[in-house]
Amino acid sequence: MAKEGRYEPPKQSAFGQIFDSLFLLVLVSLSLFVPLWLGLAGGGKTELTFPEKTWQGMGQNDVTAAAFEKLGFTPETAHGIIASRFDYSFDPLTAIITALVITAYFIFVFRFSDKEYRDVIRERFGDK
Amino acid sequence: MPNFAEMNGFQYLELAAWIISALFGLWMLVDMIRTNAAYSEDVLLSSREGEIEDELIVDPAHRG
Amino acid sequence: MTQAQATASHGEKVSLLRVLGPGHVWALGVGIVLVGEYMGWNFAVGKGGAVAALIACWFAGLLYTCVAMIDSEVTSTVAAAGGQYAQAKHIVGPLLAFNVGLFLVMAYTMLEAANAITLGYLVQAVGGMAGFEGGHDKPFIVLTIMFLAWLNYRGVYATLTFNLVITAIAFIAILVLFMAVTAAKVVPLNHAGLIHGETLPYGWMGVLAAMHFGLWYYLGIEGTTQAAEEVRSPARALPLGTMTGIITLLIAATMTWYICVGLMPWEYLGQATTPLFDAARLTSSVPLMVLLFIGTMFATLASANGCINDASRAWFSMGRDHYLPEWFGAVHPKYRTPFRSIIFLVPVALMFALGAPLDQVITFSILSGLLEYTVMSFNMIMFRNKWPLDTIKRGYVHPMHPLPAIVLLVLCGVTYFAVFLGYGTQLMAMMVFYIVASAWFHFHRYQFVRRGAQFTMNWPRPRGY
Repeated sequence: MAKEGRYEPPKQSAFGQIFDSLFLLVLVSLSLFVPLWLGLAGGGKTELTFPEKTWQGMGQNDVTAAAFEKLGFTPETAHGIIASRFDYSFDPLTAIITALVITAYFIFVFRFSDKEYRDVIRERFGDK
Repeated sequence: MPNFAEMNGFQYLELAAWIISALFGLWMLVDMIRTNAAYSEDVLLSSREGEIEDELIVDPAHRG
Repeated sequence: MTQAQATASHGEKVSLLRVLGPGHVWALGVGIVLVGEYMGWNFAVGKGGAVAALIACWFAGLLYTCVAMIDSEVTSTVAAAGGQYAQAKHIVGPLLAFNVGLFLVMAYTMLEAANAITLGYLVQAVGGMAGFEGGHDKPFIVLTIMFLAWLNYRGVYATLTFNLVITAIAFIAILVLFMAVTAAKVVPLNHAGLIHGETLPYGWMGVLAAMHFGLWYYLGIEGTTQAAEEVRSPARALPLGTMTGIITLLIAATMTWYICVGLMPWEYLGQATTPLFDAARLTSSVPLMVLLFIGTMFATLASANGCINDASRAWFSMGRDHYLPEWFGAVHPKYRTPFRSIIFLVPVALMFALGAPLDQVITFSILSGLLEYTVMSFNMIMFRNKWPLDTIKRGYVHPMHPLPAIVLLVLCGVTYFAVFLGYGTQLMAMMVFYIVASAWFHFHRYQFVRRGAQFTMNWPRPRGY
């Protein structure tokens, strides 16, 4: 092992340790709560419209109607559940930007890791 | 203060949950502070990654 | 405990305790995940219909079989607490390892929060059924987190033995329900009638979207590796526990789908909170209802319990390497657990459980897991390149390399798109978080890390370096 050129890290003060812990905490909570505060969370939904609020009218058959009734629903109360549909339309540009951000993130992380890794290997196994 | 006379069973349960939670929290906090004081940092931080020491292998099933 | 106290009173070294067997590893892996069959997987039905959920279940099963194979090979070689974190550190490099450590802590702490929310909801619902209106769920959310943190603080053996018992009961509950509706025919199943012609209500787009919650059938099985420093023989117990774990889950997931889709209309199933409990209600059998209620409670507890175990191990190992403040790298001299990490993560879990809606918490957990699986596939390829099979001895060698790694990467890509469809904003917020955290690590935090010393495995020099 190469003794010379070994990196000796500074000792972190108690204050620095507390500050670093708090920094991460704040960062985590921001990423969770900011989309919530901005009201940007959740996917789009649409509603089907039915001619009438009966099991038949909502496209149900005898089997499903019986199951709904056994679960404690009437056509009125089940209407919201049956009519709700997800909206999968999306903006291709946003999709491309998102894909690019994810790719860029991985490239950035792998490149910097590799740089740091070469140092680790040099110190651990010595120069070639 | 909650009015104990007017609480129903579920509210007693809620109160009990709060108290027991606080006790667990307090217990951990007190134990952590006492442990931090009783041992030096060098001992507490002495664990090393990937160490396999035979004498540390404890088999509870075969403990006397 | 005599051993532990003797070591501590010598005043020299304390480390985590090697007490676990393959059964505990199975309980840790399956315990975290089994809750997914009791709740959450059925949102995949809502996303794409009953058939789409089954396709997603099997594709996600394939994804996780790849994860389990890769995990088993790497972990049987890198046996260190922190699991994938320690693996990435040895194979790819520090910055990625830091990111992986954060993925793990976030995925598990969010999952823990989601479990606590569900448990609180269950207690509140039962209170409502018993005639107590206006009950609160918060005291029970807090109690769940505090009790399990305390259990974890007191020692890993009791924690995971507890998990083994309650996980086994929850799994048996699913088996009993399956036998009751198939063999004993307590209630007729009618899959075709209940799907009523809406095989794929959203077409193939729905199958894609269903992958988002398809992961929920298995999320967390990779946590078995966190126990690496606490099992008696890691090279044997980890692959064994992980592989039996994924097999258990594949069986449980398929049975759960078969029971629920045969009993409930897909429109209802797609938004149900506790699908297996509802299935039991539809059998009109009180013993089955009680059994499945207990199963739901136990599955939730086991999952939260395993999450505390895994998140604290990951946080602890990062502290030990000074990736995080070194204070967190402490082991309790008597209980031999990473006690400071366990305590630090309690308020974090409470904040998520009390402050955010369930689907958000679940999505953050899934996203962190997804990022981790993406890393795993690169990790595996680099592992075989830097240390080919003849250079170091592996406890387990997975077959057909590099096929599992490539399949894993492709399926991850599909799932990113599925998450994007409903939760594009969260995906972005999450990426911003990891980018900022990475910059912080590289430019600030890394100065406190010893360079050569963090490579702890007794391996030869990697090829090409």
